[in-house]
Amino acid sequence: MSRRQFDIRLSATIASVRVVLRKASKFAGAAGISAVVAGCATNAPQDTWQPKGPNSKLIDDLQQPVFAVAGIIGLIVAVAVVYTMIKYRDRGQPIPEQTHGKPALEITLTIIPALILAVVSVFTFGAIFKLAKTDDTEMIINVTGQQWWWEYDYPVQNEFGITQPIISSGQLVMPVGTKVLLRETSRDVIHSYWIPALNGKRDAVPGRIHTLRLEADEPGIYAGQCTEFCGLSHANMRMEAVALSKEDFAKWVANQQAPYVAPAKDTLAKQGEEVFLNQCVRCHQVNGLTRADGTPAIAAPDENVWSGAAPNLSHLMSRNTFAGAMFNLLSKQCRDEVWNAPSDVVGAKYLAGVTEECLNQKDLRAWLRNAPEVKPMYANPADLAVSNGKYRGMPYLALSEDDINKLVAYLITLK
Amino acid sequence: MAIIERPAPTVPAIVTPTTTYGLLKRPVSATGWRSWVFTVDHKKLGIMYGATAMLFFIVGGVEALLIRLQLAAPNGKVLNADLYNQMFTMHATTMVFLFVMPMAAGFANYFVPLQIGARDVAFPRLNAFGFWAFLFGGIFLNLAWFLGGAADGGWFMYAPNSGPVFSPSNGVDFWALGLQITGIASLTGAINLIITVLNMRAPGMSLMKMPIFTWMITVVQFLLLFAIPVITVALFLLSFQRNFGAQFFDVAAGADPLLWQHLFWIFGHPEVYVLILPSFGIVSEVLPVFSRKPLFGYPFVVFSGAAIGFVGWGVWAHHMFASGLGPVSVAVFSLTTMAIAVPTGVKIINWTLTMWSGKLWFTTAMKFSIGLIVLFTVGGLSGVTHAVAPSDTQQTDTYYIVAHFHYVLFGGAVLGIFSGFYYWWPKVFGKMLNEKLGSWNFWLMVIGLNLTFGPMHILGLQGQPRRMYQWTEARAGEGFFNLAFWNLIASIGSFVLAVGILTFLINVLITSRNPQKAPLDPWDARSLEWMTTNPPKEHNFDVVPTVHHLDDFFHQKYEEDAATHTMKQVRTAEEIMAEQERNADKHIHMPSPSYWPIVLAFGLPVITFGVIYSHLISVVGGVIVLFAAYGWALESSTAPDSDFETNTPGTGLDKVASNHD
Amino acid sequence: MTDTAHGHASSTGISNVKLGMWAFLGSECLLFGGLISTYMLYRGRVTGGPRPSQIFDIPFTSVSSFVLLMSSLTMVLAVSAAHKDDDRKTNLWLTVTALLGATFVGGQVYEFTAFYKEGLGFSTSLFGSSFYTLTGFHGVHVTVGIIMLMSLVGILKRSSVPGKKAEVVEMIGLYWHFVDIVWIIIFTLVYLIPV
Repeated sequence: MSRRQFDIRLSATIASVRVVLRKASKFAGAAGISAVVAGCATNAPQDTWQPKGPNSKLIDDLQQPVFAVAGIIGLIVAVAVVYTMIKYRDRGQPIPEQTHGKPALEITLTIIPALILAVVSVFTFGAIFKLAKTDDTEMIINVTGQQWWWEYDYPVQNEFGITQPIISSGQLVMPVGTKVLLRETSRDVIHSYWIPALNGKRDAVPGRIHTLRLEADEPGIYAGQCTEFCGLSHANMRMEAVALSKEDFAKWVANQQAPYVAPAKDTLAKQGEEVFLNQCVRCHQVNGLTRADGTPAIAAPDENVWSGAAPNLSHLMSRNTFAGAMFNLLSKQCRDEVWNAPSDVVGAKYLAGVTEECLNQKDLRAWLRNAPEVKPMYANPADLAVSNGKYRGMPYLALSEDDINKLVAYLITLK
Repeated sequence: MAIIERPAPTVPAIVTPTTTYGLLKRPVSATGWRSWVFTVDHKKLGIMYGATAMLFFIVGGVEALLIRLQLAAPNGKVLNADLYNQMFTMHATTMVFLFVMPMAAGFANYFVPLQIGARDVAFPRLNAFGFWAFLFGGIFLNLAWFLGGAADGGWFMYAPNSGPVFSPSNGVDFWALGLQITGIASLTGAINLIITVLNMRAPGMSLMKMPIFTWMITVVQFLLLFAIPVITVALFLLSFQRNFGAQFFDVAAGADPLLWQHLFWIFGHPEVYVLILPSFGIVSEVLPVFSRKPLFGYPFVVFSGAAIGFVGWGVWAHHMFASGLGPVSVAVFSLTTMAIAVPTGVKIINWTLTMWSGKLWFTTAMKFSIGLIVLFTVGGLSGVTHAVAPSDTQQTDTYYIVAHFHYVLFGGAVLGIFSGFYYWWPKVFGKMLNEKLGSWNFWLMVIGLNLTFGPMHILGLQGQPRRMYQWTEARAGEGFFNLAFWNLIASIGSFVLAVGILTFLINVLITSRNPQKAPLDPWDARSLEWMTTNPPKEHNFDVVPTVHHLDDFFHQKYEEDAATHTMKQVRTAEEIMAEQERNADKHIHMPSPSYWPIVLAFGLPVITFGVIYSHLISVVGGVIVLFAAYGWALESSTAPDSDFETNTPGTGLDKVASNHD
Repeated sequence: MTDTAHGHASSTGISNVKLGMWAFLGSECLLFGGLISTYMLYRGRVTGGPRPSQIFDIPFTSVSSFVLLMSSLTMVLAVSAAHKDDDRKTNLWLTVTALLGATFVGGQVYEFTAFYKEGLGFSTSLFGSSFYTLTGFHGVHVTVGIIMLMSLVGILKRSSVPGKKAEVVEMIGLYWHFVDIVWIIIFTLVYLIPV
């Protein structure tokens, strides 16, 4: 038998076993697990049983039969124990013969679970290697974790219209039906990137680059959360993956590469730009922003932030979230409209960005007023001796309400 | 030497205070607080281990309740982020290192010598030292709460988040150094019990006639013997980095953060079996007794326990499936993890078949054991779902994992421990725990634990990560499986569970006031520990038993009816006891108490305290340790006879020079 | 150190103390295993500090290794003297063993000082941290061994060893040989195999 024939036979065998397992899973559904499966249909945005892309579907196809088999075995054990308890309860029978076991039975009952697990492991191996593939990548996005937000860096990829690097944060924007490869690392501690609808998680480890395949079948917004404990605000380190149709993605890329538009003279926004240049630009870059003397304003986050970076705010209002996706830039109503939009219009709604009416003023102002108060961070100068006075997170800036008004007016212009 | 005279009372020696405090003399108190503080009696130490572990169980439980209070509703405000992070770190650390491990050590200390027909452990003073080191280590760990905050990096303490910049309080220092001390305690305990089991079995007790509890404890001690040094290395690297400027986890210097993960889990996974196997042992004692049948497939249970012990070394990286190992490593560890499920399954099958065709007596101890079979199975099966590595990448670091290991550790280890409480209470304290309250205790705990940890399966599969000090409504979803509802249920469940444990404490209180003594052999038990008084005499057995069978005590009481193959009682426990007392050994050598174990153990936290605050204090601690070590090595092997005022002076004192301690 | 079985002989025929020491040494294998693994992982990571090949003085360390190796021989002689109840020779060989051990530790102190002067501090690089940790741990083990040997000599002179004398000498001998063997492994891996 040639190697190829063997491969074909093996895959045929695997396929038939898979059918059996599917049937078993359906049987288990009848046994009551169906309630669980059906119930999950409407649930939390990070539901791990609702795959929305080929990678997560691969995992789901693997795990559902395993859950089913595990459920059946659990049921058998429970029933066996209860049956034994009833049948052999003390009813005055004599003390039984002191039998020490039946090796044949014992061996059989050892081999059966071993065989079940051997079958499971065959499928597991297949999935592990498929999920580790990197040679079919169509698009690369570099993802960097930092306490407590994610940065996305799109290297130049002309086929997607990315002619200069795009740096964004919070929301990962990607084209639908495209094999995206995330190259993850971290600037401080270990984080973990996880969009349950699209794939399992992969740790972002400082000093190492790990890859994670991501692909979405339909346009939409998929929620995620950092899952490796990363310190104080681990709970607030969220992210979202936004899958756009290829046309919408091209529009998004074009907007990200659009040049900076300074606010008109004598507007509140122009005064806000002034405040930004005085305060924010120490850490936050806005591409194309220039000082009054015409020199480019270059942020130097590494001088102020321990981990070395702060979110690039060039096109802040093209995102729906801020502060590590902890807060929405959109008011609740507007946000729901985008999130609940059917997949054929979600792209257009998303690309509309944050308009003045839709801006979540409350959270944004609270953030500008006193960031460490609304998100736990290491930003109290008294605690920073060990980090040479550098912050981990955004500090309290003591802005006046007047300045905050100006800043909000400015930020809303960063489309 | 405390010489126990027959038929003298069991506690004959009264101290003459003027002669007790010579520097190199050994104390002889048999009553009062000194009889506990300086004791080297494995039974007293077992009780002290148990009582201390119970206190830490309450501490860890309160931490758990605070966690659940915080998570009952979205955006919880009970704890702030910093305090919450300390809370879950210390909850896990306390439960693992200060409750389950020492509780198992308590059971092991008390019952292993009794089960193998020995009069004490191999190294009685080392045994005492182990207890004190554990106690001082536990206190040291918790001191951090009052000195700037406890450790906040999670019990797994991943680097570099545990580094000096990312965790600037002294919490992690206290944690690392405190665990070193409890590690020393575990290591000495392991050596002691291994040698006890290997060397001090009663005549005729071959390894394959050893009670299964002793077997499981032995496997655990071997696991500890080889696992503790690995975490010791990891903790040293961490402490050297935090306190002496080493660079082990400094990524900027080229360090690899995965080094910590490998070291931690090479220790950490055997540790999981360290936690669960003692309870497997307890259950394997309880089920046969209350089924009136030997353990089904004893050799299979022994070998599966040993197999778990071996394969347990080859599965550590399944904690790291999302850490970025290559696909080959992931596949291999996925396979070994599935493989370890097989011997575990063997145990479940054997326990069920032990009950099969038995004569079942549903005491509280039995209920807890049956509870373990069912609930541990749930935890085991959810474990299989994340042995499948790709599926684990969806589950790891979510509440699904929290659900899994609480079913394994609470549904497994803790139910086993409670089964042991009810089963052995009359043996240790001579009084029966109330069975009616016991029933309440059992049902409240089982309902509480299912309410608490059952919903966590749902929470995890719905994508709620672990170690989040708050969860948000934005990610809670709607419908039947929304996070808000199930978080609330879990929080309510945790309080039901707490009431269940409170019921146990009330039961203990009531029992201690009950004057009624327990019968000699209340459960018609099978193993040697029941072949002595309740509580056992200081020297355990009047006659060191000679063993002919597995379950020797049972076979002394019962003989098989040749026709029906059923068992007929031929002797009662009382008759066996009376015969022993008639033939009691005349001269029984028991080790004298000693001052040095507690002094030596006290030196350790002084050293570690100095590491954090001032190296001068460390020097003081070092001097204490050295001083105690010399005292230990030089003290006479026995207290002089003049220190004792025995009730029967002048008769048969054994003056023969003894090498025994 | 001599708590032993009470009333009946040991089931294995080996005394508790000796078996206990074997168990302890088994545990120590994993301790050194962890430290050696850490060193092997990090030995090439020097970040600007000196490389191993730049500072190691192989001839010097070879000599001190030989001294330590010889101490194992003298330890054997001490044990055999103890078995023959020859107190004078036991004391002599124990003292010689301790002196050889002290020579080795002295060599290590000299070596550490020299390396430090050549720019390799504990915090210089991962190589520095892991080198000093590994060899330092071994040095501490040797030092503890020396203290035990000297104490034993002192106690033997007062002839008040609790427990059988030969047994105690043999137990400390086990420890001493173990520490020697570990050094041979460390010497090979750290000094002889190039990065």
